[in-house]
Amino acid sequence: MELEASGEVETAPQAASLRLEDTALRHKIREYAKHQRKDLRTNATDALRFGLGQIRDEIRELENLSVKDVHGLAGRIKRRKHATTEDMYRLSHAFLQSNDNINAFAATQGAVQVIVKELTGTNVQRQIDAAECLCNLSLGEAHVCEKITTLAGSYLVTYLNSQESRLKRSCLWTLANILASCQKSAKTLLQMQLATKLWKLYTSDVQDYAEDAGICLHLIATHAGSLLPAEDRRYIAEHLHEKQPTQPGGEYYMYIVFQLNLVALESKLCVSKLQHFIEFLSSSELDYNNLKQQLPIVYGVQVLSNIFATLSSSELNQQMDIENLINALNKLFLLGNANLTKDLLQLLRNLMDLNLFNKEQLLGKLRVYDCPISV
Amino acid sequence: MEIITHRLPLTAAQLDAILNEIPVAYAKPTDPQCSTAIRPVFRKLGVLVDMDEITDAAAEQKDKDNKQQTLGKVKVNAKTTQSQSYSCIQCRRQLPTAHLLDLHITEQHDLYFAASVERGDKPMFACYIEECTTKFQGPKERKDHCISIHKFPTNYRFDQAKAPKHKSHKQQQKAADDSMEVDNDGQLPYIKAFSFGHLTQRTFNTRKESKNSGKALLDVQAMKDALEEMN
Repeated sequence: MELEASGEVETAPQAASLRLEDTALRHKIREYAKHQRKDLRTNATDALRFGLGQIRDEIRELENLSVKDVHGLAGRIKRRKHATTEDMYRLSHAFLQSNDNINAFAATQGAVQVIVKELTGTNVQRQIDAAECLCNLSLGEAHVCEKITTLAGSYLVTYLNSQESRLKRSCLWTLANILASCQKSAKTLLQMQLATKLWKLYTSDVQDYAEDAGICLHLIATHAGSLLPAEDRRYIAEHLHEKQPTQPGGEYYMYIVFQLNLVALESKLCVSKLQHFIEFLSSSELDYNNLKQQLPIVYGVQVLSNIFATLSSSELNQQMDIENLINALNKLFLLGNANLTKDLLQLLRNLMDLNLFNKEQLLGKLRVYDCPISV
Repeated sequence: MEIITHRLPLTAAQLDAILNEIPVAYAKPTDPQCSTAIRPVFRKLGVLVDMDEITDAAAEQKDKDNKQQTLGKVKVNAKTTQSQSYSCIQCRRQLPTAHLLDLHITEQHDLYFAASVERGDKPMFACYIEECTTKFQGPKERKDHCISIHKFPTNYRFDQAKAPKHKSHKQQQKAADDSMEVDNDGQLPYIKAFSFGHLTQRTFNTRKESKNSGKALLDVQAMKDALEEMN
């Protein structure tokens, strides 16, 4: 009525175009809601991770899949030279249920290759299913992990650069399981320059994979630190400053630096990152009872202590903000943990040996309350 | 010798005395003392696959296919989900990473690259691993490098050399290098790779061939006739 009164009467084509716009908008909203629902569902499924055999305790209504079933499924996918999503779903569940199922499948000649074929195919959904299937297969012993590495290692590493988030995450989980199981496999994977790829994911602006990449890197540092190729070690040392303590997986940072022995092997690069290490240590959360927060503190102190033990004063002089370091040390001394205080005193001893600062002045600023070392 | 526990902080002199007792030391990760220190805990975990999600995805795919059919569009490949992969605009080959697609486009469709390879003054073929900076004179050297150094499988699925265009290019290069040679003894032997059905299917395809060969014979006959007429 108002439109008519003001003389702005809608013509038929105008109304039709408005209706079209409305439909387009409604369609857009529907699509957005659909995507959001899917993302939320993916996040929820990601949380559902189980250890070997744990699924039987958690879900009682689960179909019990025996070695015989696994043999049947393996034979079926081999005959067809192709595995359907349902086949892979059943296999995934069978692997979660027992190690016997895993061994039975791994022992069937040509069966893993069919899963690898699906992993490298063109259908993204089946690629994801195959990756999840391999993730559960990697719960097996070292020989199974070795087989996965030989047949699918290169693809698992390649897919770390994929756009598909679920596929990428499944590959990271599989790699973590393999790295934890078998040193030989770890060596093979490291030859594919896995460490550099992982460091890129660990320090990336997109932090969705930083936690998982950090786990893989800490496993490399623990089990295969000495096998790390020199170019990968150098890359990590050059890009140490790219990780911030507040980012996901930050708790593994100092552990990785220490276990890879970067201070000794890439000393020049490490000293250039000294200020970053001090900032990393001083901004770590000081809850010493929490293991996750304990890691960056314990290994951060060790890393700094090693830097002071290795380098000459001329190299260090320009790099260090001593006030920041003293503040960090005083906070750590306040925690009153005997082992930590010992490490802190070692750090101080190494620093004193460099004769960089006025000894009395420096010691006067430190607040050491409980000393576990006898005099 | 007694352990000092102070409520007040240690004085500089006390601290100095303590520090003098300690030797300068570098803590190695392999030191037994360090091995007793805390380590991050890791437990191997699998992933629980949700069947609903699989059926959802299958239904979604079916819907897409139906939509395409009702709209009358040409269906390229119903089995393929193209949204998340990198595909070549020219030959529609799909590759999982940007680096592999980059290699594919350069090596298969870039004429400047082909000319540079033909000239052969510098190595042009980059490694399949993005992080590896080594370059090679030919795809064979690259393949050898990937197998021996990076432990790739011999039948690496994303090998660019498998594309037919590349073969012809290689043959061209070979022809340019050994233009005087007539026999093909220098060619590489055919190595049978384990392909699991990805490569060409082996079937009896005689009908098509016989049709073609018949046509070819007819053409030859027609040509003979034409030559005779000319004479």
